[in-house]
Amino acid sequence: FRFKDSLAEDLRRADLVISYAGAGSCLETLEKGKPLVVVINEKLMNNHQLELAKQLHRDGHVLCCNCSTLVETLQSMDLSTLKPFPPGQPEKFALFLDKVVGFQ
Amino acid sequence: TGGHTTEILRLLSCLSESYSPIHYIFADSDKMSEAKIRSFEQKRAETFSNSKFTLDRIPRSREVRQSWTSSVVTTLYSMLYSLPLTYKLKPDLILCNGPGTCVPVCISALLLGLLGIKRAIIVYVESICRVETLSLSGKILYYFSDYFIVQWPHLKEKYPKSVYLGRIV
Repeated sequence: FRFKDSLAEDLRRADLVISYAGAGSCLETLEKGKPLVVVINEKLMNNHQLELAKQLHRDGHVLCCNCSTLVETLQSMDLSTLKPFPPGQPEKFALFLDKVVGFQ
Repeated sequence: TGGHTTEILRLLSCLSESYSPIHYIFADSDKMSEAKIRSFEQKRAETFSNSKFTLDRIPRSREVRQSWTSSVVTTLYSMLYSLPLTYKLKPDLILCNGPGTCVPVCISALLLGLLGIKRAIIVYVESICRVETLSLSGKILYYFSDYFIVQWPHLKEKYPKSVYLGRIV
């Protein structure tokens, strides 16, 4: 398919996700607890789009490769090395904002 | 737009009933945000029966990678809409997270504050995607916001006046 409104169903059923480094794809996949291999194509992407993928890789949440090393990565990968991705905490933001605004 | 809307709705997800009415402002070219917002507000209304919200569109102030000089022109054009809108809404608090749309709205709010008409608290939350560098909106609003929140420690080091609460979306 080209575009779907939501990939949630496909993500739910997947055992492994291979994706470009789009932030939405990365975060949605990690939040569903699926192992993720991020393919980086530096020629196509803005520097800033790579920031998140690189950080997630540094933190051990995703595997990274480029188009030419994808096959080799898939053959030799050890998914058990991936660390789970803890959810964000919007409640911390709510607490902060309450103080700022004066609702205590 | 897209990712920004998803992020901002997550930021709103734990806010209490006191934050009402919520006025959503987004770009006229944005086709998907309205549906996301309505769905979020529907769920919010299940918990807070009195929650109110409005939706307003203004012209998109900048396309991706648009040049700096032409962005100034398109932003000024967006301000022809954002200024009367902000004057009408007179917000107490403006929460934004980086799409170009937030710049004309925040500038409008700053103007209204300078003119003594209404002083809004401006809270800017940089996107989770920004780990090492700020977006253009972020670079501008770092100086003009009351609270500037970043989600990665590297940015807190680079921009010491910012607030770091960890990952909040």
